[in-house]
Amino acid sequence: MEKQVIVSISREFCSGGHIIGESIAKTLGLGFCDRNILDEIAQRNNIRIEYLEKYDEKPRNLILSRRVGAFSNSIEDIISEMQFEYLRDKALNGESFVIVGRCADSVLRNYKCLIPIFVMGDEEAKIAEACRRYNISREEAINKIRRHDRTRKQYHNRYSERKWGDSRYYDMCVNSSKLGIEETATLLTEYIRQRIDKF
Amino acid sequence: MIVSQVLAIIIFVVMFVLIVLDKIERHIVTLGCGLLTLLLVFGLTMHSGSAIMETLNVKSIFTPGFWYSAGEAESSSGINWSTIIFIAGMMVMVEGMARAGFFQWLCMNLAKLVHYKPVPLFITFMLISAVLSMFIDSITVILFLAAVTVELGKLLKIDPVPMILSEIFCANLGGSATMCGDPPNIIIGTSLGYSFGDFLTNTGVMAGISLVLIVFYFYFAFRKELAQESANGFVPENLPDPKSVIQNKRDFAISCVIFACAVVLLVTHAQTGLTVAFIGLVIALITLITSGRHMLLLLQRVDYKTLLFFVGLFVVVSGLEQTGILEVVAGFIGTVSNGNLKLIVAIIIWLSAIASAFIDNIPFAATMLPVIRSLAATQGIDPSTLAWALSMGTDIGGSATPIGASANVVGISVAAKNGHFIGWGKYCKYSAPATVIVVAVSMLFMFVRYC
Repeated sequence: MEKQVIVSISREFCSGGHIIGESIAKTLGLGFCDRNILDEIAQRNNIRIEYLEKYDEKPRNLILSRRVGAFSNSIEDIISEMQFEYLRDKALNGESFVIVGRCADSVLRNYKCLIPIFVMGDEEAKIAEACRRYNISREEAINKIRRHDRTRKQYHNRYSERKWGDSRYYDMCVNSSKLGIEETATLLTEYIRQRIDKF
Repeated sequence: MIVSQVLAIIIFVVMFVLIVLDKIERHIVTLGCGLLTLLLVFGLTMHSGSAIMETLNVKSIFTPGFWYSAGEAESSSGINWSTIIFIAGMMVMVEGMARAGFFQWLCMNLAKLVHYKPVPLFITFMLISAVLSMFIDSITVILFLAAVTVELGKLLKIDPVPMILSEIFCANLGGSATMCGDPPNIIIGTSLGYSFGDFLTNTGVMAGISLVLIVFYFYFAFRKELAQESANGFVPENLPDPKSVIQNKRDFAISCVIFACAVVLLVTHAQTGLTVAFIGLVIALITLITSGRHMLLLLQRVDYKTLLFFVGLFVVVSGLEQTGILEVVAGFIGTVSNGNLKLIVAIIIWLSAIASAFIDNIPFAATMLPVIRSLAATQGIDPSTLAWALSMGTDIGGSATPIGASANVVGISVAAKNGHFIGWGKYCKYSAPATVIVVAVSMLFMFVRYC
């Protein structure tokens, strides 16, 4: 792709945001970043990947952490910052990619080629997806969705002045339950194509 | 009075909670709470213009005693401008030294001097951490020492975590030895009129004895790692020359001279009569004048947020002081201890240590200062005894946990950014027992010497 484009996908748990991101990347021939960026960070810093995964996209513990200027003792903070640095480097190098989560809508907000998207879903559709994906009961699915969405919100809002899921900060907010995951991905891909033409 | 007392307590508690939660920048928290103290406590409920003026304490700056009065208390209440001016001056000096490459040069030279051998390197870096922290704030010391340690760790293929943990502890310990080593000491010293020499011959002796014990403690705590690294004995051929970190020889020489002047002025300030505010201002001015075209850059890099944090903090603590809350606390400690000096010392030192392990020691020391002043007056105790207990408790207590002192946070962060994570478990396993040892030794020392 000649013009640089970065697509950030923020998503509710079990809304299909991750699959949509993968589909967009595949169709447009873009790089795809999600949890896999931890592999490179682990390799680069000689850290065990399990350690990074344990604290990935988690908010810091309010009581057990403290910040002094740009320094923090919170492992969650430090791992987040490592990921943000990785994304900044990637964007600075002119790479085009789709990034799921990692507060990318805020970290890369100064890039004109950034297209921030938020994917949500109907409550019932998300519960059904969680039951199917994790083979759990409805009650467990509801709790799991609440817990994950709360964690994502806290994580995002910790590192960004923009609120997670606030439509003012995204170019497009879409409910994937209405068209289904596949058609939503097609719709978003077309939207991104048209946006790239206008860059 | 009850309403103003309740308001002062609420504002103080809200300030502490907001500082701990770290959602809003801490200087905004203290300034906001300070403003509320002025408006609600002093203005709305006390209708006391004099309390506001006493708290703002601006006129003290324009008195000769503020700049030249060795051995006298410079401010009894309100904003401690001496502390703020001194810290600002030191910030400017440290920025100048950092820019010239002083800290990297010193660390690399010491490493070369001990031939990069793990055990001597481990002990030397502990000692230099303590010595530098006697004159420079421990955050700066750890920032550079930890960074050099990580680099040496990579080159020599050794784990830098044991060294960083021991350096952090020694930085906090070294800071307790002098009046300018740690912000609580500056606050205590300027408020109660103690000199550099007073601290050195009291907290300095305790810190010195503790340092010897702590070097042994950390050596034994990490003996397995050190033995393994010594056995490896890997020293690469192409290690960087210490001189290579010096960007500009002229700037380097000037920063060394200014640092030496600062040390001499501080050590002799009881004899010369120059106050720490004067020393801070002069050192800052010399640094700025000699920095030439970098003057603006140095001024921009001063941590104004920390200075504003102090301003707000002093106002909030004044709210507690002016409304008599801290006298009540002092009275309570006096009643509990029944006037027993040993018990009072034990309470002050352990209370300060435990509190400082979890909350910022600067607001704690600022709050406790009027308490010990009142306690000394009502119980007929020499205030210096309580001051040393407060100083050692607040300075050392912060070493126990990763969040207890700023140096801990900086050291852990520098290590983690280079792939060496230090969690609560690992940190406390080594540093909490060391803290207990130093606080216990200091308490016993005080029992023998002062009680």
